[in-house]
Amino acid sequence: MSGKLLDVKELYTSFYTHLGEVQAIRGVSFHLDKGEALGIVGESGSGKSVTSLSVMKLLQYPGKVKSGQIMFKGEDLVPKSNKEMMSIRGDQIAMIFQDPMTSLNPVYTIGNQIMEAVIKHQGLSKSEARAKAIEMLTLVGIPSPEQRVDNFPHEFSGGMRQRAMIAIALSCQPDLLIADEPTTALDVTIQAQILELLKELKDKVNTAIILITHDLGVVADVCSRIVVMYGGLIMEEGSAEDVFYNPTHPYTMGLIKSIPRLDLNEKHRLIPIPGTPPDLLNPPTGCPFATRCPYAMQVCVKEAPKFYVTNEGHRAACWLLDPEAPKVETTGGVKRGDK
Amino acid sequence: MAEKEVLLEVKNLKKYFKVDKGIIRRNIKYVKAVDDISFKIYKGETLGLVGESGCGKSTTGRTIIRLYDVTDGEVIFDGAEIGQMSEHELKPFRKRIQMIFQDPYASLNTRMTVSDIIGEPLDIHGLASGQDRQMKIFELLERVGLSKMHASRYPHEFSGGQRQRIGIARALAVDPDFIICDEPISALDVSIQAQVVNMLEDLQNEFGLTYLFIAHDLSMVKHISDRIGVMYLGKMAEIAESNALYEKPLHPYTQALLSAIPIPDPEVTRAKQRIILEGDVPSPINPPSGCRFRTRCIYAFDKCKEIEPELKEVEPEHFVACHLMDEKV
Repeated sequence: MSGKLLDVKELYTSFYTHLGEVQAIRGVSFHLDKGEALGIVGESGSGKSVTSLSVMKLLQYPGKVKSGQIMFKGEDLVPKSNKEMMSIRGDQIAMIFQDPMTSLNPVYTIGNQIMEAVIKHQGLSKSEARAKAIEMLTLVGIPSPEQRVDNFPHEFSGGMRQRAMIAIALSCQPDLLIADEPTTALDVTIQAQILELLKELKDKVNTAIILITHDLGVVADVCSRIVVMYGGLIMEEGSAEDVFYNPTHPYTMGLIKSIPRLDLNEKHRLIPIPGTPPDLLNPPTGCPFATRCPYAMQVCVKEAPKFYVTNEGHRAACWLLDPEAPKVETTGGVKRGDK
Repeated sequence: MAEKEVLLEVKNLKKYFKVDKGIIRRNIKYVKAVDDISFKIYKGETLGLVGESGCGKSTTGRTIIRLYDVTDGEVIFDGAEIGQMSEHELKPFRKRIQMIFQDPYASLNTRMTVSDIIGEPLDIHGLASGQDRQMKIFELLERVGLSKMHASRYPHEFSGGQRQRIGIARALAVDPDFIICDEPISALDVSIQAQVVNMLEDLQNEFGLTYLFIAHDLSMVKHISDRIGVMYLGKMAEIAESNALYEKPLHPYTQALLSAIPIPDPEVTRAKQRIILEGDVPSPINPPSGCRFRTRCIYAFDKCKEIEPELKEVEPEHFVACHLMDEKV
């Protein structure tokens, strides 16, 4: 077995709605090493959240993993029963969600919700579990945890609720933490607190993190490797440096160009990506980005490109990288040492 | 440069919301959402208003356009005090001030066609009827990047970005001078945000519009605004020209806010020195005495607890409300 903690191979997930099959994920492969922080970036509908729900096997009806493998520590999670997953979820893989207000149970105290996980997975007694709950609240920086442990979620502020969520998620020392837009509902100063906490805990607890977000700034800050998704497919994957300084996919370039930089002073116009994302009820046969791509060729509409590896660990699905493709001058990416 | 003309002046604006409690609905407390703020907006400029949730930035916008009644203070638009006007007196001003809302799903009536939505302000103000009205609607649709054939459709048939365009077309229908944009892009995807922001900039140039741009995304606000006001807990903490605010933030809150924003550049953002604020924003029902920010401020000293700092012009066009400024002087 290699050092891969998670290895997702050719994952297809669809939602069978009354309108037809919505192909949310259409063949996604990526992996994650132990203790690594991977960022999955994309817009709404790109399939980033469905990917994480598929890994957790938390897809709700009518969603279903159609095919593919999700190898976690060498074992495939796809055929596992719900009962088997229950012993993995919370214990080995934990998840934090975007909205801490709705993902905590309002009728149980914060302490109870942390204790639930450790009693179930680690077989601690009630008093041990309570001590553990206090320890976890201390770890995530909740002031006066001995009192706070008996509070209900409504007595916590948004940032503190997200800290409590992180405390629950990390209470069993999971190997993998999936954070789905963990800071989107929070204010920037609170976001900074939570990101700082995640970075600190990653090293302390040695948990691998998958951070799902639409905010390029957040991934640049936290993640060492980045997967860019669009229309249910991976467009580009590489180290944070590769993706930001040397993007090879026009979508990644477009994304970087369309956001303003706080630290740059020149007033230039933003360069938007024209058009709208594809409809996954009738996904395009070719590259999903072809209709919005400034460099689109005929082949892009006809056939989906395969991955081209540009350097070690950096790959992108774009026909422009084919040796036979015409050479075009693409501009994009962050200039190193800008500022 | 010619003397800048003031289009809107807000003087000591206050907006309190009652909190009723008990069976006889006794009025116990007030939420001081906006508590004594003053600022000016010049003709043709964009003033950005930033701050965290609950700081009163949206309430400020909604009070200016009189969606809320003014508790105290003045709103002077083009020389006329509109803060205390009756609905009837206000009508001509309603035509000149328009608003674009955050949620493009909630701000359009689902039972009206696009043509009715955009036509409604024309009807209310009696600006066009019959053929003219139809032409005007088509014109507006095209101006915001939609087409004639969209006129007979309903809002649910559009994506978030397209709905926001419909909202903008509706605001433009009455040829306003001043538009309040309340988080117009927060609900949109990253790649669509730039489309809408560019369009707002184009429209401003074309029609000479003045914007009050309310948002929490400081990077976008800095991009679009000429000047920026930073609010904290119902107060204006700092107001300055946007580059000056970024280059030389003077209020400790502005400094923390700016340092908290992650930059989409791995090397820059990881090297960035962050000021991590402790704790959360206090409740606006019971704000701290003196300076509202003192409970989270690393520089707070005795005076901050006792006396509320006033918004003072520290440098030309750079206003700050902080006692540290006096100390330095």
